[in-house]
Amino acid sequence: MVHIIVLTKQVLQTEGLRVDKATKTIVTQGVPKVISESDKNAIEEAVRIKEKHGGKITVITMGSPDAKEALREALAMGADEGYLLTDPLFEGSDAHATANVLAAALTKILDYDLVLCGAYSEDLYAFQVGPRLAEVCNLPQITYAAKITVDGTKVTVERDLENERQIVEAKLPCLISVIREINEPRLPTLMAIMAASKKPMTTWAAADLSLGPDELGFNGALIETLRSTVAVGDRKRVILQGEVKEIAPKLIQALVQEGVLKAS
Amino acid sequence: MMSGEHKGVWIYAEAQQHAYELLGKGRQLADKLGAELSALTNGTEEEAQGYIQRGADKVLLLSDSALKVFQVDTYTDAFSELVAERKPDVLLIGATRNGLDLAPRLAERLKTGCVTEASKLELDAEGSFVLMDRLTLGGNVVETQICRAKPQIATVPKGLFSSLPQNATRKGEVIMVQPKTKPPSVKLLETRPKVAKGVRLTDAPVIVSFGRGVRKKEDIAIVEQLATAVGGVMSCSRPIAEDLHWLPEDQYVGLSGVKVSPKLYVACGISGQIQHLTGIRNSRTIVSINNDPKAPIFEFSDYGVVADLYQMIPALIEAVKNLGKT
Repeated sequence: MVHIIVLTKQVLQTEGLRVDKATKTIVTQGVPKVISESDKNAIEEAVRIKEKHGGKITVITMGSPDAKEALREALAMGADEGYLLTDPLFEGSDAHATANVLAAALTKILDYDLVLCGAYSEDLYAFQVGPRLAEVCNLPQITYAAKITVDGTKVTVERDLENERQIVEAKLPCLISVIREINEPRLPTLMAIMAASKKPMTTWAAADLSLGPDELGFNGALIETLRSTVAVGDRKRVILQGEVKEIAPKLIQALVQEGVLKAS
Repeated sequence: MMSGEHKGVWIYAEAQQHAYELLGKGRQLADKLGAELSALTNGTEEEAQGYIQRGADKVLLLSDSALKVFQVDTYTDAFSELVAERKPDVLLIGATRNGLDLAPRLAERLKTGCVTEASKLELDAEGSFVLMDRLTLGGNVVETQICRAKPQIATVPKGLFSSLPQNATRKGEVIMVQPKTKPPSVKLLETRPKVAKGVRLTDAPVIVSFGRGVRKKEDIAIVEQLATAVGGVMSCSRPIAEDLHWLPEDQYVGLSGVKVSPKLYVACGISGQIQHLTGIRNSRTIVSINNDPKAPIFEFSDYGVVADLYQMIPALIEAVKNLGKT
C-alpha cells in the first residue's frame, strides 16, 4: 500500500499559441488549457503503481480556479482525491514560492510515500519545482525517471541522462520527476469520467496552508521578471519561388557565398 | 542579503568544453564587476590549469573522493558550504541534466533564485544585477529576469557562449577544497552507457530536417540523399519521432527534443510550430522548403523556398553536384 501524491500543472497548450505580428503580442484567446504533458505521465505512473501495490493517489494542482478541470481529468485517469491550491495571493509565485506552497500542502496532507511530478512544465521548462520542493521537505530527489519499481519501503529508478542511464535506489518517501518516455497516459473511459465527478476535491487558499505573505506570490519570489517581450526572428526572409531547376542553383550559390556550404 | 558581501563569479560544468564556454562568459561579467573568476571542478590539476589558461583566476579543486562522481546530494552539500564560506556574487552552472538537477536544489538550500537555461547574461546599468534572459511559453516570449538574492544562479546551455583562446602563460591559483558531504540519500547502483540510436545532432555543422511534408516513410530516402550531398546529417520534427516513430526520439529537433546550432539548417516540409523553431533558433542560416506560402517557418528562415519538396530536393541535389564540377 502506497500513498502517492502527484503534482500537476495546468498550462496553455503551447502548440496553439500564435504571435500577432501587428501588435507583437501572444494570442492566447481560444488556446485550450491542458495538463502539462509530463505531469500526465506522472499521473499514469501513479495509477500503474497503485494497480500493482494498492494504496491511494492524491493529486495536487496550484493555479487559477479553472485548474479544477485538470484535477477532474487526473481523477478520471485514476487518482482518488484532488486538492486545488488557489488564491490571488499565489499570483507571481516563482519556483521557490511555488515550492513553499506545495510543501505546505504536503505537510498538511501527511503520510505520503511517494511524490511524483513531471520533470518540467510544458510552458516554462524550468525544471525547478520538483528539486526545490524536495529540498524544502527534505526528501531524496530522483529526476528524469524513465522507469520506476516500488519494492516495499524502497524504490528503484532508471534515470535518463544525456549519455547514460543510471539505476538508482532510494528509501521512501522520496520525490521522483518523470519524463514522457516512462509510459503512455491512458484516455479515461466515459465511466471513469462520470465516476470522477463523485471523487472528493478540496480547495485550499493561503490561509488554509498557514503561509505568511513573504513566503508566496510576488513577495515570496526570489526571481523577479523585469520584462517580457515577444521573441521575434531576425532572419533574412528571402522568398524563392518559381521553377525548381532555376531556384535550386541560386540557393546553393547563396549558401556557398555565406560560407555555410562547401563545394564538395 | 547585502549584495556588498558577495563578490566574484563562479562557474561549474561537468564537461571541459562546456566549462570553457562558461569561463568565456564569466570572464566578461567578472571584468565588468571588477571581480575574480573562479571555476569549480572535480577534475585533475592539469584540467585546473586548463581552466586558468582559459580565463579563470582561481580553480576550486574538489579533491574529496565522495565527489568523484556527480550526485545531487553530495554536490548540493559541497557547493552550499563553499558558497556560504566564500560568498560569490554570481554562479553559472552548465545546463546539463545533472546541472538542472543540482541548480534548483542548491538555490533552494541557499534561499536564492535560479534562472533555467539563460540565453543571455548581461549586467544592468549600475552593475548590481545580472540581467538574465530566458525563453518561456514554448519559446514565444523572452523574459528578462533578475535574482533578488545572492548568489545569482543561472544554468547555461552548451554551445551558447564562446570560450577564450588558450593562453599558456596565464597565471592563476589552484585551491584544493574539501567541503563536508553527507552520504547521499539516493544510491547509485549502476551506470549504463546509452547506445545512441542515431547520429549526434548537437555537433553537426549541417542538418537536413524533415516534417510532415514527407508523406511516406520510404520517402525519407530523398531527404537522406540531400543530407549526404550537402555533407550533413538528418533530423526531423517532433511528430515524426514521437507519433510516427520514423526516426528515433533522439533525432527530433525542438524545444523538448534536441536543440541544435549548425551553420546550415534545412527544414523540408516542416510548418514551423514554436516547438520546432525554439530548437533551431541558434542555427546560423536557416533554409526552409514548404509548398504552403503561409507556413510560419518562412518568417523564421533566411531562405524560404515555396515549392514541393519532392521536386525541390532532387533539384538541390543536382545543383550541389554541379557545384563540384565548376
